[in-house]
Amino acid sequence: MKKLAIGLYAAIVVALMIWGYYQAIYVAPDDAMQGYLFRIIYYHVPSAAVAFIFFAVSLVGSIGYLSFRGNRPELAQAYDAWAVAGAEVGVVFCTVVLLTGPLWGRRAWGIWWTWDARLTTTLVLWLIYVSYLLLRRFAAGPQMQTLAAVLGIFGALDVPIVYMSNRWWRTQHPAPVFGGGEGSGMAPSMKAVLGWNMLSWFAWGVFILILRFNVERQHQKIANQEALEALESNV
Amino acid sequence: MDQRAILDHQFVVAAYIITWVVQLSYLAWLGVKWRSERRNARTRPKP
Repeated sequence: MKKLAIGLYAAIVVALMIWGYYQAIYVAPDDAMQGYLFRIIYYHVPSAAVAFIFFAVSLVGSIGYLSFRGNRPELAQAYDAWAVAGAEVGVVFCTVVLLTGPLWGRRAWGIWWTWDARLTTTLVLWLIYVSYLLLRRFAAGPQMQTLAAVLGIFGALDVPIVYMSNRWWRTQHPAPVFGGGEGSGMAPSMKAVLGWNMLSWFAWGVFILILRFNVERQHQKIANQEALEALESNV
Repeated sequence: MDQRAILDHQFVVAAYIITWVVQLSYLAWLGVKWRSERRNARTRPKP
């Protein structure tokens, strides 16, 4: 039953991805200013939105771990698995944003990179979560998960700063398309295509998030068993 | 197609390819990690 559900969900994700791609390439109209190049938005913006959502998952996981680590260790471990899964999948999406953005910038602005507020805060966000993953990979001992949780919470504080950066500081990056006040917005035909791609990338993200969560839970079970064995052999 | 349109098209293709390379590489790495964890779990003696 579980395998059938996974297979069905995977099939829905693949169908959504194909539909999103078809919409982005063949259905969306060219932009009045940027022409065909504007189609990068259908992969760039959903990747950023999904990265934010998964960093929020990591935030909830980190808070949950810190809240329950003293009295409900099994639940705290599950929260910790969500924290690491959210951070890792968030980094993957954020990497896509940091690679597709400069490609778009090179054609639209003539430069690969500039130390603009939106670009810089996004890079800082990526660096914080990469350091979170490195901490988890290379630190050892009982304090590792606690330190990672604290870092995960601080990292998430950068998400609203990234989101607001092109509202607070008007530099190179374009003004927000949605919620940017007068003059912002998108043609309905483009909005629908962006919506489909948001949905398809979110569905894909959830798929790999759940996979990563299960890998981490499996890892925790083996680590717990090893710790128990080590304790028993010392007694 | 003029030069500008060709370049625009190439940049869009590059962005889409990069996105899929990153995502599928991560999925492949997850698959390897998942298999290795399962193998570890299977080879461990039952308590």
